[in-house]
Amino acid sequence: MDAYLTAIAIVTGIYVLLALGLNLQYGLTGLINFGHVGFFCVGAYTTAILTTKGVSMLVSFPLAALLALAAAWPLGMVSIRLREDYFAIVSLGFSEVVRLIATSERWLTNGVQGIPGIPKLFSDLPGGQAQAFAVLALLVVLNLAAIAAMWRIVHSPFGRMLEAIRDNEEAVKALGKSPAGFKIQVLLLGAALAGLAGAVYAHYIGYVSPDQFIPLVTFQVWMAIIMGGVGRISGALVGAILLMLFLEGSRFLRDVLPFVSEVAMASVRLGVVGLALILFTIYRPEGLMGSHKRP
Amino acid sequence: MASAADLIELMLSGLVSGLVIGLAALAITLVFGIARFANAATGDVMTIGAYAALMATGATGSLALGGLAGILAGALTGMGSYLLVFRKLEGRTSVAALLASIGVGFVLRACLGVAFGHGQQVFQLPLVRPFRLYDIRIQPNDLKIAAAALITLALVFVVLHLTPVGRRMRAVADDPMLARVSGIAPKSVMLALWAIAGATSGIAGILIGIKTVVSPEMGWEMLLPAFAAAILGGIGHPVGAVLAGVLLGVVQELATPLVGFTYKIALAFVVLLVVLLVRPRGLFGRIEGVR
Amino acid sequence: MSITRRQTLAGLAGALAVPGLSGSVLAQAASFRIGALNPVTGAGAPYGSGMQKMILAAAEMVNAAGGAGGRSFEVFAEDTQTQPQAAVLAAKKLIEVNKVQAVLGTWSSGVSLAVVPLTNDAGIFLMNTSGAPALSVPPANAKGLSYRYQATNDRFGRAFAEIALKNGFKRPATMAFNNASGIGNTEGFKKAWEAKGGKVVEAVVYEPNQPSYRAELQKVLAAKPDVIVTGSYLADTTIILREWFQTGDAAKWIIPAWAANADLVKAVGNEASEGIMSVDSISNEGSGAFKAYDAAYQKALGQSGLTNVYAAMTWDMVVTLALAMEAAGPGADITAINAKIRAVANPEGTKVSTFAEGKEALKKGKINYEGASSVLDFDQHGDVTPDFAVSIVEAGKINRKYVVKI
Repeated sequence: MDAYLTAIAIVTGIYVLLALGLNLQYGLTGLINFGHVGFFCVGAYTTAILTTKGVSMLVSFPLAALLALAAAWPLGMVSIRLREDYFAIVSLGFSEVVRLIATSERWLTNGVQGIPGIPKLFSDLPGGQAQAFAVLALLVVLNLAAIAAMWRIVHSPFGRMLEAIRDNEEAVKALGKSPAGFKIQVLLLGAALAGLAGAVYAHYIGYVSPDQFIPLVTFQVWMAIIMGGVGRISGALVGAILLMLFLEGSRFLRDVLPFVSEVAMASVRLGVVGLALILFTIYRPEGLMGSHKRP
Repeated sequence: MASAADLIELMLSGLVSGLVIGLAALAITLVFGIARFANAATGDVMTIGAYAALMATGATGSLALGGLAGILAGALTGMGSYLLVFRKLEGRTSVAALLASIGVGFVLRACLGVAFGHGQQVFQLPLVRPFRLYDIRIQPNDLKIAAAALITLALVFVVLHLTPVGRRMRAVADDPMLARVSGIAPKSVMLALWAIAGATSGIAGILIGIKTVVSPEMGWEMLLPAFAAAILGGIGHPVGAVLAGVLLGVVQELATPLVGFTYKIALAFVVLLVVLLVRPRGLFGRIEGVR
Repeated sequence: MSITRRQTLAGLAGALAVPGLSGSVLAQAASFRIGALNPVTGAGAPYGSGMQKMILAAAEMVNAAGGAGGRSFEVFAEDTQTQPQAAVLAAKKLIEVNKVQAVLGTWSSGVSLAVVPLTNDAGIFLMNTSGAPALSVPPANAKGLSYRYQATNDRFGRAFAEIALKNGFKRPATMAFNNASGIGNTEGFKKAWEAKGGKVVEAVVYEPNQPSYRAELQKVLAAKPDVIVTGSYLADTTIILREWFQTGDAAKWIIPAWAANADLVKAVGNEASEGIMSVDSISNEGSGAFKAYDAAYQKALGQSGLTNVYAAMTWDMVVTLALAMEAAGPGADITAINAKIRAVANPEGTKVSTFAEGKEALKKGKINYEGASSVLDFDQHGDVTPDFAVSIVEAGKINRKYVVKI
């Protein structure tokens, strides 16, 4: 039982990291990033490819974050020139292109066969349970570090600049500051967090393949931050937990609703995600509106 | 090495798929232009149209009746999504509506999954051999699909340009201030909009279902190319959406020998991206895309 | 005793309430817990629920015959969603919460590869229907607890090559669905074909869910092949065949049976499907095992058992496991049971085709269970080494023609 709960906690921790990154992007700058899973994918594959070739995790983890950040850069350059909803769709395309590259470039990623046998984290610890706890501890540390970093950003001159941009972009421009640069930095930071999450994920599951990095993952993270509340750091945490409760809880729901066949259950799960998105958007938009005013 | 005839055949194939994607893009751009948000449920309305047509064709034995059923189902779904969800989001940001539309899409897909299961279904249409025109093979079924798409387009344009409600729709699209000042566009205009958008999506779904197979995911999978076409053509510009759809369809097929079968999917996005960077309002758009 | 999933909730409640005591000692001795981990949703959805239902049905049948090795089966069913991440969580739940002693019926290679480290760590069985070669060898099969009931993609490819050779084809081309299984099939074919000194004139890999495969077809047909070998699934095969037929070009097709079945014939019509060679690892259709399985399948799903070759495999998984448990004797642990799997399934021994028959025959000596999905002879990697059957579509009917041994 402990191991199962630890497993759920670990996956939740990964989702929290993803949600923090997305929350940073949307909450602070209003960027609608529908391609978040793309950064997740880059991070996961980076560490998978490197460690299966013998590179140490101490090297591959930072590289995972770095490459995800680098992948976000062209997207960032594009984002400043497009209106929000166009950017949303372009970012969705971006994550699909990342997936296609992972599918196609067999010399690098082994294509659709995926990369099995990714080394486990903390494998020199005795016993599966100890290893699991260590992974959980790592995630807690990473998340706390991310939260601390975000806290400092929000309360720093950089953060105040972002608020100023949000409130009156023209004034900021008139003062000679470039809002675009700040926005891009936030996008890059969020991407780096997703890359780190991807690295932990790869080593935890032990196997990566392109069809694990589909847009549905991005929308699950969106659902998490909408439910939890955008713009608030606690929102990411609460949202990820709610998401996990929902995704895993529906397993046990089947015992309570025996008349629903398993096949139908999966559709029901999808429908509930959809319903949550609709209802939260309509009736509890504090998540959407966040703490800032947007026209 | 592809011969000229081969290339022309590819182009024709791209033309047909492009027309159908263009229909979906038309639905998207109408909603985008008038209700001012990107409707991600369009794909799933397409799927509903396909299933409704499938059921009706199976029940009555007539594809024409089946088609009508599909169109009706699409229109009703469109109107329903407006009345139940999107109307409540008027006055809010387009992001809110976009996110809600994703939810609507999921719910529609879930209902179809429960009702029909995940296996594929097909329209039982007779297969025919092609006829040749100067060494180029032309497929009669392709011609029928293209004809259906063109007729639909013509009808939509007739409604937009020649009927009172169509004129009001275009007025709302043309003049954002009108929409803002009046707060919410009159209900009848919106209902007409959603009915047309839904019906068009339904037809697109039927045509794709005929061309390929019907499954609960089929519409969602066509969504991205449709979006790309709508944005490429310029939001709120119906002709643009269709032309962009055709352009993307043709480019995708013709470029295949160069980029391979996997990356050709990505081509739509590369084209979209390049055009948006150079011309942020799309090829024909009138609305400013630059922040 | 009926096996329902409500026991999962009870089990969870029990586990939460009394952490140290997961069920009474008596219960443990009397039941053997199976985790049915199948692709109920996702890419494997056409097969997953059938696979799961057959595990349940076979377990009920075993219990009705008095159980295996003094124990009755308890089945806990979960959905992998054909996604490694969801499968890992489901597997963890099955292993940790339900304390299953065998995980049966993982379908996609990605899922099996992700789950096998977990079952290995727990020291329990993983019986799968995946094609990836990596599953046969360490690190995946380090403990010899992983059994594959589906011919590896490689083997399918070799069968294709034999068939092409037998029919005198000289210029084959391949079309592969872009996933591990599809590519595995066509690359297995290429390897075997080239080993015989032949050459593949064109190889195309196509993406799923496209509105048209005209360009892909054109490329293949431009090389003027005399036969096209596919690693494909039903939906894309349907679209490709329709488009091929409408090009008017002649070609022969060798297609795996999970794609070239009655549904395909119905979808593309008699004319377009005429002459298709459909290749299957032999589902012993004549065998008693198949009859028993088919009856159960029809009862549970209302369709012929032929439509879901994987369900036949999961049926066999339960029966082989039960027979091995019976042979190992009451209270045997996993290692002891494992030692008996090959003993009950491989040749030498009285041929049996149902659990009841085998239980009876074990009293007298060795048995050889010939399954519903194949004769089930496991090699040293735990892979089945089935023969293949070729059926040809003639006037809308799929007729078994001959058998290929490799």
